[in-house]
Amino acid sequence: MNFDAVKNSLVREARAAGLEEYEIYFMESGGTSAETLKGEISSFSCETSGGISFRCIYGGKLGSAATQLFTDEEMKALVERAIENAKYVESDDKAVIFSGSESYAELDLPEIEEKSTAELKQIALSLHKDIYAQSEYVSDGTSAFVMQNKTNIVLMNSHGLELCGKVGVAGAGASAVVSKDGEAQEAFSLRSGFAKEDLEAIPKDSVADALKKLGATEIESGKYDVIIDGKQMRTLLSTFSSVFSGRSANLGLSLLKGKEGEQIAAECVTIVDDPMYKGSAMQTSFDGEGVATYTKNVVEKGVLKTLLYDIASADKVGKESTGNGQRAGYASPVSVAPYHFYLSAGELDDEALLGALGDGLYITELKGLHAGANSVTGDFSIESAGFRVRDGKLCEAVKSFTIAGNFFELIKSVESLSSNVKFGFPSGFTVFGAPDTLIRKMSVAGK
Amino acid sequence: MIKKELLEEVLGVAMSTGGDFAEVYGEHTRSNGIMFVDGKVDRITDNVLSGVGIRVFLGERTVYASTSDMSREGLINCARSAADALAEGNAPISICLSRRDHIDIHPVKIDPVTAKISTKTDILKSACFAAKEYSELISQVQGSLNAVEHEILVANSEGLLTGDTHTRTRMFVSAVASDNGENQSGGAGPGRGMGLEMFDFISPEETGISAAKTALVNLRAGYCEAGQMTVAIESGFGGVIFHEACGHSLEATSVGTGTSEMCGKLGQKVANEKVTAIDDGTIAGAWGSVNIDDEGNPTQRNVLIENGILKGYMVDRLGSRRLGMAMTGNSRRQSYSYEPTSRMTNTFIANGPDKNEDIIASIEYGLYAKQMGGGSVNPLTGAFNFAVNEGYMIRNGKICEAVRGASLIGTGSKILQDIDMVGQNLATGQGMCGSSSGSVPTDVGQPLIRVKKITVGGR
Repeated sequence: MNFDAVKNSLVREARAAGLEEYEIYFMESGGTSAETLKGEISSFSCETSGGISFRCIYGGKLGSAATQLFTDEEMKALVERAIENAKYVESDDKAVIFSGSESYAELDLPEIEEKSTAELKQIALSLHKDIYAQSEYVSDGTSAFVMQNKTNIVLMNSHGLELCGKVGVAGAGASAVVSKDGEAQEAFSLRSGFAKEDLEAIPKDSVADALKKLGATEIESGKYDVIIDGKQMRTLLSTFSSVFSGRSANLGLSLLKGKEGEQIAAECVTIVDDPMYKGSAMQTSFDGEGVATYTKNVVEKGVLKTLLYDIASADKVGKESTGNGQRAGYASPVSVAPYHFYLSAGELDDEALLGALGDGLYITELKGLHAGANSVTGDFSIESAGFRVRDGKLCEAVKSFTIAGNFFELIKSVESLSSNVKFGFPSGFTVFGAPDTLIRKMSVAGK
Repeated sequence: MIKKELLEEVLGVAMSTGGDFAEVYGEHTRSNGIMFVDGKVDRITDNVLSGVGIRVFLGERTVYASTSDMSREGLINCARSAADALAEGNAPISICLSRRDHIDIHPVKIDPVTAKISTKTDILKSACFAAKEYSELISQVQGSLNAVEHEILVANSEGLLTGDTHTRTRMFVSAVASDNGENQSGGAGPGRGMGLEMFDFISPEETGISAAKTALVNLRAGYCEAGQMTVAIESGFGGVIFHEACGHSLEATSVGTGTSEMCGKLGQKVANEKVTAIDDGTIAGAWGSVNIDDEGNPTQRNVLIENGILKGYMVDRLGSRRLGMAMTGNSRRQSYSYEPTSRMTNTFIANGPDKNEDIIASIEYGLYAKQMGGGSVNPLTGAFNFAVNEGYMIRNGKICEAVRGASLIGTGSKILQDIDMVGQNLATGQGMCGSSSGSVPTDVGQPLIRVKKITVGGR
């Protein structure tokens, strides 16, 4: 896609329409992925797509429109639609096309080796073979997958600001299905990159995890001390991340409104938002409005240091944007979101944390958080599975229960954390992470 | 969207490395959304999505390539990369397309995308203000009105050339009630495969009030007790129970790969005899309806379970090859960026033999789930969960105090046997269903039903 040609055409149309302040946001992505089934590459896909969003200030209001059609005719229509939309906006948010930050961080991005189609297929097939080699119980439905994609972003505006960025993600994974005595279970394993140790760990982890789930029993309802696996703790953090949004707080949709500076969590809880997390290919030096990003502790030793803001939500409370005005896609409106957002590590290794738990549950699955958790109230009630822990030792698998509670109470009752922060794959431009987390007296509904 | 001759050339290139079937899916989607927050129109989004997805089959293997570059070069490159990813070779074959038309059973009266913005903001405001004015305790109301016009084209190497334009409109209102530093929320989101004429029979004000009422009920509610109990699930969006507990396990996506607990059970009794379940993509103007699916097949009415007996699956082209069964018009995708797969359309449990009042009266101690939230399922094990957005305890056959924070968990095969009373007030609710081919609009539905025992998560 030729962005320069489109850009010139769009600038021409914007000027012709008499606009003084406008911004063009271009996003282009490309990716490939492959998946196996029954020893073959069952599906392979590749994608290239690009789109443009145009924002302008008209009558003191921000209007926007987006498109994937790059014709001159459409560029004219795009400007017209953005102006038309601005006419009906009533929000008293400050309308800003940002003139630029003083400086932007130099990123130390990792080199990502791009794999050819043939290489990707080979990695997937060899993973597939390794998964079946792990156990005689591995059965049909088992699949391995590999993916790589990258996204380029250009933001330019009428103030002469022009910023370019690129992010990427690549990795492999597996879904191992095991069947034994009429019972089937599956488990996933996902790793970033294609390093040898990761490709060796995926088959081992996925099959071992699936086998461990076989023969799971049900547990009695009651209060249990629990460790939530870091992989699950990060999905919980992801589900409730909007409570840290200054925009949500301004609208009364976050119970953290007005709590900056207050103790909102246990002293062992520190939550970091790091746009430049070392070694990550998702680093970014500017946000969706062109504001420079920076690393900050959102919660430090349990104290809420700051909420996250874009330009408009910060202006409402007399603050500066924290560089968190993100756009999830070329057509997405600016919304407040973090970057590498993680619960900081504690000091205990996995074994010591289990020892600290003593008797209880190790929660390795949380399902349906999009429905079972409410960020406005903080309440959650979630389908879970995991393992019984006795005397600090992992015992039998348990399933078919829910854990229930309230996020704001949960972060206050964190007792300790493991020393290993587990990061996931990006969700939009955010990567969530958390260590294993020990919490006392969780409500569990079982049989 | 794309000329016939170019489509024929593109298909020829896609087949040039030995594929046995190729398909081009073209898309031009216009959408417009209005967001209303804090008493004001907050922002308006507007987008044109345009691109093509090319799929090549060889037996049960598929390759999918997509691009937003609709130029001749872009299309040929896209077909080339699909063909090259499938196998080696270069022998373009000749394809001759012939146009097949179909009847439009969802004609649109008022195009919701190009309708005046002021008309739409008026509708949205009447809903949001009705919610805000319902009670002084309503502290915040957010609303949206989204309109989508989805124009598609499907051409394949069997010579099929067809297309359709599908329009949908949805309003969503979310209300927050606050008291003593506590927030509770409620929502309502009616949608139809229609234009703005949907508001001729769906009242924006009632939509807003319904959201406000749920928020207020929850504000006064205590936490739900946890444990196993009998549960009555109300009609409408309550149908999400069948969608999650069973529907996904009947899609060829999971059945065809052997990862569904419903594999190999056709003709067997999988549910209580009072349960008949149907997936019907032909209901005029319904949220999950389309004239043709995303492989170009007309949608149809598929009986999935009849009086407890499993009658059929929902099958797309790949599933048809894997299972040796006919396609059922269920192939869907969010956009050209997604390879299509079998999905639900409008899926519901049909009316049964029981009177609604008898269902409530039959429960000595249990939960009345008046409004359900979303959920999820693992088709392999059938383990599902979903949230209860508005619930009440039932004691001695009477609906009593409101409770909040409940969720229901179980396994599909078991709950289908445990639905032991089915009422007579079939209604539907709208949802966006997420799966490997993206997010697609689906209707769920049922009359009031009773589940004799299920785990209720609470605290």
